[in-house]
Amino acid sequence: MLHPFAKHLINRTLVAVVTLFIAFNVSYLLLRAIPASAVDTMLASVAQLGQRLDPEDYIRMRQTLMELFGLTGSPVDQYIAYLRRFFLLDFGPSFMAFPTPARNIVARFLPWTVGLLLVTTVISWLAGNTLGVFVSFVKNRRLSRTLENIAIMLYPIPYYVLSLALIYIFAFLIPIFSLSPVSVPSIRIASISDAINVAIYFFRAAALPAISIIIVSAFGWWFLSSRTLSISTITEDYVVFAKLRGVDIGRIRGKYVLRSVMVPQVTALALALGTIFSGALVTEYIFAYPGLGSLLYQSIIIGDYPIALTILSLSIIGVIISMWLLDTVVYYVIDPRIRYAR
Amino acid sequence: MSLNIRAKLSKISTVFYTLLRYTRFRIGLAILIVMVLLALASLTSPPVYRRWYAYPKDRPPQFNLAAMDLLLGTTSNGRPVTYITINALANSLIIGLVTALIGSHIGLLVGLLSGISRGYKESVTVLLIDSFVCMPGLPLLIVLAMALKNIMTIHTLPLILSVIAWAWPARNVRSITLSVMGREMIYLARFSGIKFTGIIVHEVLPYVLGWHLTNFINTIIWAIGMETALAIFGLSILSEDTLGTMIYWALNYNALFRGLWWWMLPPIVIIISIFIGLYFISSSIAFYLNPRLRGHSQ
Repeated sequence: MLHPFAKHLINRTLVAVVTLFIAFNVSYLLLRAIPASAVDTMLASVAQLGQRLDPEDYIRMRQTLMELFGLTGSPVDQYIAYLRRFFLLDFGPSFMAFPTPARNIVARFLPWTVGLLLVTTVISWLAGNTLGVFVSFVKNRRLSRTLENIAIMLYPIPYYVLSLALIYIFAFLIPIFSLSPVSVPSIRIASISDAINVAIYFFRAAALPAISIIIVSAFGWWFLSSRTLSISTITEDYVVFAKLRGVDIGRIRGKYVLRSVMVPQVTALALALGTIFSGALVTEYIFAYPGLGSLLYQSIIIGDYPIALTILSLSIIGVIISMWLLDTVVYYVIDPRIRYAR
Repeated sequence: MSLNIRAKLSKISTVFYTLLRYTRFRIGLAILIVMVLLALASLTSPPVYRRWYAYPKDRPPQFNLAAMDLLLGTTSNGRPVTYITINALANSLIIGLVTALIGSHIGLLVGLLSGISRGYKESVTVLLIDSFVCMPGLPLLIVLAMALKNIMTIHTLPLILSVIAWAWPARNVRSITLSVMGREMIYLARFSGIKFTGIIVHEVLPYVLGWHLTNFINTIIWAIGMETALAIFGLSILSEDTLGTMIYWALNYNALFRGLWWWMLPPIVIIISIFIGLYFISSSIAFYLNPRLRGHSQ
């Protein structure tokens, strides 16, 4: 008989490892589907965009592409080479800034995306869950009905569609936010004033995308699901008994209902992470926010496969690792059953 | 046999009338009917609308019944927004439908198999479903679409989307199957000597099919949303009109900041209303199927 946490940990780790492996194999197989003649077409389109290429650079680019699409070496060699590239995020030199490795360019844009995602995920999850639990206590049916209807309207809308509406209103009709152009977001903090400048830039650039993600995900999904969960929790016997026992109502709400709603919601958060990440990519590009979304867009225009593949494997690895952390570490903190059982 | 079919039909119509009692379902159905009618209206669009500069450029909307073409104005390359919009709607609905036809049925099959199998087979299918559910879909689809840009058509795009689309339905069908398989009627059926396939077809499937319908509708929503996301990155079928490519071209010509609202707004309004309409329908079906939800909110 294993300790429940050990069981949970093994289970989650297994799922994470297998997910990584399957995702890797799917992307590997999909890349093999690309015909060999495509490589020269891709290179031609890189050359068309007006980049001056030395013949040697051209040959190196061609080699990179040939290797990425598995056109050189035996199948086993290809598989191992791709495995190495996938997990080390080493997809060779980028095309848009030629000799620079794609990995370095992605690393420069990464903190912006991670910052935006962390802030929006945490805020929307907390706000949505708290509001959902709160609404289920409110006696005023009109209020809870209205909030529910707003949430149901917002839930199916993707972030990026709402973003377009927000841009139109807040950057065009009422110009509160300006759409700052994509500048190179290198974070080099040498002095305090640098840090302040970076912070100001971050908040100005991140405000609108963050708002659009938070509105949709907090008042859409998190609100609806936590409301449903807490309505069914309130009718549980232990909550009714606590009420009869005269336990403070605030304590019932916080410790009895909110706490137990949080447990399934952490798993839901872990699952939602992949979709939040995908949605945020598009939102970033729409707002010209200097994150991975904008980089991805540029790499698509140029046909910069090394960068696109780096972002792909980074996103798969990143989302799976953070899911794993959420589902084990956070679970351990909020679910006492896992800690004390035996 | 004909009696059987008639009984089934009458049962379906009873369910339909019950659903019609929900306000949410009525609103959703009304939106959907309007959208389908608009999409059908695209059949009447003259072939000339596809050509650039067939109409004057950047013309604002004019409410002139004699010139229906210009009802929503024209784009910067001289094409009437009215016809682009209804064609885009039709194409997006087709993409959504085909993806749902492929993806949600694969999901139904895998989910059923996973729900009824035991031992290592179950673990394998669960791991497979879970890992596809967790995978961030958009980056994968983007790399795939980048490579297959040249052969992308209205019919191949749904195939590409289906690579990811089956996972959520499969997960849902699996959990429904598991809960049905644990009920007493299944044991009763098994002890009365009904064959395994008979149990699946007659006892399990009727419960799963209702949820399959909600999965089907949710997959349509997902597919239209994914197509739009790909299109905003310029990776959809840019030569065809879909809701996504319409947004892409409007953004590309900076319609937003040049004040060409009649070009930018129609696709956004239509996407939002399709999503809300379909979601209303699927959530009211889920509401009908799940007695626990039904009990609380009425």
